Amino acid sequence: MVISAIDWGGFLQDALFAAMAAIGFSSISHTPRRAYFVCALAAALAHSLRFLLMQPEALPDNIILDSSVAALLAGFVAVLFSPIIKVPAEACLFPALLPMIPGMYAYRAIVGLVGCMGASAEPEVMHNLYLLSYNGLTCIGIVLGMVIGANIPVFMLKRISFQATR
Amino acid sequence: MTTTDLGRFLADYTAWLWGCGATCTRIEKNVRRIAAAYGYHIDITVMPVHVTVALYSPENENREIFSNRTAPCGINFDLNTRLSALSWAVSDARLPLEEAHERFDHIISRHYADGARILLLASLANACFCGLFKGDAMAMTIVLLATMAGYFLKQRLLRHKVDVRITFFVCAFVSAAICSGAMIFGWSDTPAICVATSVLYLIPGVPYLNATSDLIDRHYLCAFSRFMDAVVLTASLGAGLILAIFMMKIDMTW
Repeated sequence: MVISAIDWGGFLQDALFAAMAAIGFSSISHTPRRAYFVCALAAALAHSLRFLLMQPEALPDNIILDSSVAALLAGFVAVLFSPIIKVPAEACLFPALLPMIPGMYAYRAIVGLVGCMGASAEPEVMHNLYLLSYNGLTCIGIVLGMVIGANIPVFMLKRISFQATR
Repeated sequence: MTTTDLGRFLADYTAWLWGCGATCTRIEKNVRRIAAAYGYHIDITVMPVHVTVALYSPENENREIFSNRTAPCGINFDLNTRLSALSWAVSDARLPLEEAHERFDHIISRHYADGARILLLASLANACFCGLFKGDAMAMTIVLLATMAGYFLKQRLLRHKVDVRITFFVCAFVSAAICSGAMIFGWSDTPAICVATSVLYLIPGVPYLNATSDLIDRHYLCAFSRFMDAVVLTASLGAGLILAIFMMKIDMTW
């Protein structure tokens, strides 16, 4: 990866937005306030890592794999900090993952679905079917990859994860 | 302390832990921990709308079954944290059941305000979401306002006990309709991102993550139940979004 080719402004902006989004979604789920910092940190680090992995020069350039690796990092941050703040790891981890939820892929899948229902000519139907399946499958792949990646530290460090509130 | 007292307490505890969005792994670990502290073994069955606890002691293999409806308290990580801490308090400090029950009642009677602070933070979060998808500053501002309107409506409708699916449909419609102004009036250079991210604050992300987590741990029924609940909510908000797009006659493709 060519370091100088990276848009560092965009990198920092993404990290900030991810942290703020994680705090907002934490508040909706009534996460204890002392966990906000960990949520924000995990989200910012994970999103930043995904940003770097998604650069064209990075290998492998695949959003599902990149999201899984980023979620793995978020998982480690959440699990390692959870005993310090005495909050279950998933209370920090799940809000931190939400900024990486593939909302745009879900939206495009819906667009494809609506397009399929409204189209009559075969090429148009096929194009919309392609939009629906490609975006829908990518969306499912990202969510699955993220949860698997995020859960690896939770199950790998079971003693820490499930004794955090002790 | 009788077996019946303990069984009822554990059924209540399990129902609340499931209701507040704990994963099945955590539910099993916490409930087993409490039962073990009182010298009992336990088997748990978690179904979509009720939980069943089978309690037995090493001396007596006869199981006593206790069942309870799941608590409809919504995703609440603070409740999850306090209930988990209670299980450790019971296990480590060997709390008498009466005291454990007292603490449990105190925890579940806490009032969680869904007020202006959460409204503001949720709106900011969704505006940041728009920024993450490369929406411009104007798109982020419109999303902020649209989320405020939609989330305010969500708080009011849920407070008046309106069905959650109807609530999601209405809120998604309102937020998307407001954001469609960016496309109709040319307020933003990234109007499609503005419309697409207008409803993301409604996506039930935690239930999706919980469902997948349960799936990995082979709790297939719970996973399916949580997944379907989330799918129904997503379909409701999707319908609201599509209705807004059709009514405002905006171009969805970009």
